[in-house]
Amino acid sequence: MSAVILVPLLPLLAALIVLVGDEGSRHQRAKIAAYPIGAAFLGAIATLWLVATQGPITIRFYDPASLATLAFPMGFYIDRLSAVMMVLISGVGTIIYTYSIGYMYQDLHDRRYLALIGFTTSVLLCMVSSANLMMLFLFWQVLSYMLYLLAHNHAHAATLEGAFRTFTLLRVGDVAFLSGIVLAYQLYGTLEFQALFAKAAESPVTLTPLPGIEIGGATAVTLLLFIGAMSKSAQFPIHIWLPRSLYAPTPVHALLHAGIINAGGFLINRLAPLYGQSSTTLHVAFVVGMVTAVLGATMMLVQNDIKKTLGFSTIGQMGYMIMECGLGAFSLAVFHLIAHGLFKATVFLSCGNVIHKARQEPAFPHADPRAEEQEFSRLTWATGFLTTLLIPLVILLVSHGVLHIPLRDSQGTVIFLFFIWVTSSQAILTLIRLRAVASWKVSAAMLLILLFVVFIYLFAVESFTAFLYPNPEEVASYFQAAAFPNWLFDGLIVGTALVIILGWFYIYAQARGRTMWVPDWVEGFRLRLYVLFMNRLYADECYQALGRVVMRVVHRIDKRDTGWSK
Amino acid sequence: MTDVVTIPWLLSAVPIIGAMLGLVVWSQPEKLRIWSIIVTVLSLLSVIGTSGRLTVPTEGPLFLYLLPLAACISLLGQPVHRDYRLAWVMTLLFLGLGLGFLTSQHVVGQLALVVLLGLITFLLNWHHDPFWPTSWLGIGTFGLGTLCAGLAVITDPPVSSVASLAACAILMPLLPFHDGFVTALTRLPGSLPSFIVLLLPAIGLHGLAAVLPTVPDVAVSTMTILALVSAPYGSVKALAQSRVRLLLAYGSLSFFSILWWFVAASRAVTPQAAVFLGSVALATSGLLLAWQVVRTRYGNDVDPRAISGLASPMPEFAVLLSLLALAAMGLPPFGVFAGFMGLLLTSSITSSAALLVIVVAWLAASWYILDMVQRLLFGRQRSDLRYETLRPAELTSLLMVVLIVIALGIAPVSLFGIQTQPPRAGVVMESVIWNR
Repeated sequence: MSAVILVPLLPLLAALIVLVGDEGSRHQRAKIAAYPIGAAFLGAIATLWLVATQGPITIRFYDPASLATLAFPMGFYIDRLSAVMMVLISGVGTIIYTYSIGYMYQDLHDRRYLALIGFTTSVLLCMVSSANLMMLFLFWQVLSYMLYLLAHNHAHAATLEGAFRTFTLLRVGDVAFLSGIVLAYQLYGTLEFQALFAKAAESPVTLTPLPGIEIGGATAVTLLLFIGAMSKSAQFPIHIWLPRSLYAPTPVHALLHAGIINAGGFLINRLAPLYGQSSTTLHVAFVVGMVTAVLGATMMLVQNDIKKTLGFSTIGQMGYMIMECGLGAFSLAVFHLIAHGLFKATVFLSCGNVIHKARQEPAFPHADPRAEEQEFSRLTWATGFLTTLLIPLVILLVSHGVLHIPLRDSQGTVIFLFFIWVTSSQAILTLIRLRAVASWKVSAAMLLILLFVVFIYLFAVESFTAFLYPNPEEVASYFQAAAFPNWLFDGLIVGTALVIILGWFYIYAQARGRTMWVPDWVEGFRLRLYVLFMNRLYADECYQALGRVVMRVVHRIDKRDTGWSK
Repeated sequence: MTDVVTIPWLLSAVPIIGAMLGLVVWSQPEKLRIWSIIVTVLSLLSVIGTSGRLTVPTEGPLFLYLLPLAACISLLGQPVHRDYRLAWVMTLLFLGLGLGFLTSQHVVGQLALVVLLGLITFLLNWHHDPFWPTSWLGIGTFGLGTLCAGLAVITDPPVSSVASLAACAILMPLLPFHDGFVTALTRLPGSLPSFIVLLLPAIGLHGLAAVLPTVPDVAVSTMTILALVSAPYGSVKALAQSRVRLLLAYGSLSFFSILWWFVAASRAVTPQAAVFLGSVALATSGLLLAWQVVRTRYGNDVDPRAISGLASPMPEFAVLLSLLALAAMGLPPFGVFAGFMGLLLTSSITSSAALLVIVVAWLAASWYILDMVQRLLFGRQRSDLRYETLRPAELTSLLMVVLIVIALGIAPVSLFGIQTQPPRAGVVMESVIWNR
């Protein structure tokens, strides 16, 4: 059992192999170091099997009763959630490291960079297998610094500025996390996960921060920890560090978008029993996630740089993931972050090729304008109709009639189904880009794949939920905690459905050349919104202005003082 | 009983006699420096040798070990130069007086403190520069400190308690008594700033532990408020600085003010406080030594904004400076973080607003320290600058600081004499009522 400690240690060994040695064997050592990282991946798979068959593994090198006496509380608690995350991190880490050996070949800083990849993988593995909140926080902070170093180019001023801002913003989240830990310890007297959950459940605490305002202890703790999660997972309004770190080498983005940024989602899942005790925090998470998802996706659509587009896509997806947590669908969020992690790692690792090809081919990525103007074929429309309107009906019938799921009583199931529908609609809307090549083969393939994905998604998510949270009552309690009033929930569902259907109509009308009457002020507003989102809501400028105001105040105070700096 | 009397004298005598013997090789700076380093090692050995028979101070025995180590590190990190000879000898003398104060009985210890503060006042006056007229503030503050330490010996409580408290606020800096500390860190030459950054606050905390039980409540409340003002003040001042030593002086003022708040709010000096203080002081000492490395190469009056891109040509320096910066910012696994968490988790926090101020001051360090380090290490390399990697002595001193600060963060708790405290079930806050 204790051999599982090797999983986080092996990437550290890889980092040391890269770092220590003479200049002549640098490339050779870089290649050798891939083996320990690969071995960590195999070890993570073995750990997952072990945990799935024999239950959680707990290894402690400290006395839990003396956590507050400065001993470094090093220990490992590996349950199914940790094991799944370890497989994801070590797997993506192995691919990225192997890719980077070639990508950074003959680069002046390849040694530092490869060592950092190994070290970051190790830190991530330690973080997800932490035995207590304190150890998680330790590695959480180290990760903030690793991000600063990874998003770094010594001699490039814009990169330095971006890295500095990244670290500063992440530290804001760290401070909130720290406050959450202190409050949790003050209220419950422990930072051990299981003991913390048990104490929070058995003895609810009410705080009165202001006269007449009461807040639950679990709510206060989870809200503070949620701010920490927001910073790492780039949630609005502390998302700006992610697009600003885009000068880093491409594999860094793959690691960042596939591993590091998932830390927020992991934290919420790790503390799911605590979050499950606070409806308020879950609702806040839902709102923050929804705002981030909408803004991230919208900004993604109007960016003119492939890395920025992918960056905002990640922000949108992270918003989606946090929103799922806010709905109580914790396992869905983990499923989402795994799928997104693998997808985004692939996209980032291949975006270099796209840029390379774009530089070689003058007509790329600008397609033939005549092809752009072509209309949708009937097949395209039929495919879209089937996917967005008929498939959801089939799913509803299957779930309600065949699987006997009580849709009216279960917001959770509706959420699952609704996500499937939204995702498939989102996919089919991308057909707009396939208008020139929409043959019956493409349409058929698209349909089949979507059907396959939808059903696999449905069953995979169900199975994954059962794997991560074997107790169905626990899952139900999370959904219950996150439940909205029925009128609000129905309103959200109907509102989103209307937006999708209206979007469909809009595209149809546009494609058919139909003119749609739009008031001038709406058109003007649309243009202003376009400029606003293209400039990323001027969030960077706002932060810069805030920084300037702070420094102006600081210098004014300094000048008034008769001390040493005069 | 004999041990209680003789051991403090022995511990003080080793460095003081060493300083006197150093005068024999006064004309040979290289030998004087080596001799001084040897004396600090002997001093450390004497502390280790007598550790079983010492009366353990309230804050634990940590400072008794850290002071000789800090002196040794400070001496190691200095370049050999005739102008620094007085600073080396004074480092030994201060070490002896410091150990004497930490281990002696009340009157003898207070007398050692009076001598120490008097010597610092004298040195500041000696090194007074007409271009730095504000150094009079520092000289005056240390003069006041000497007076307060003297008053504490000759008067009875509550006058002696308040006088001791004021002396402690000068030693472990707190607004508005911080000018002496800032002046000492910025104006004293050679190895002295990097040593006294630990020595003075350590003595201050030790003095505070002794005087706290007798201090009137009003004075303690005043100190709590002053600490809450002083912590953000130090951060704001540090943010505004471009000169490294001033930035570090104000940064450490902010951290020591945080400690003041914990100590005043809980009316107790715990070993966690010692770990926090020791780590903050050593991290600052390390950064001062790192800045000394830059000054050795580019001149004493070098503008930090003119230096950049040290990371590539001086990789060892870059790594060590980055680690020291991490420690000073309060990141794990260094002692500053461990001490801060220890204080947060073991203290009864009585005000959420105060906690917010403290945490924001802690956060601000990530801004000004990282900014300073980033400016030095990164950016474009200048073709007109000659880059020279670390010399063995410089490397050793910086490495020692990093290792000690890491050790303070991860070492077994029993080393610091820390007792396990049972976790509390809940607390009552000033504005926050916590009900079960």
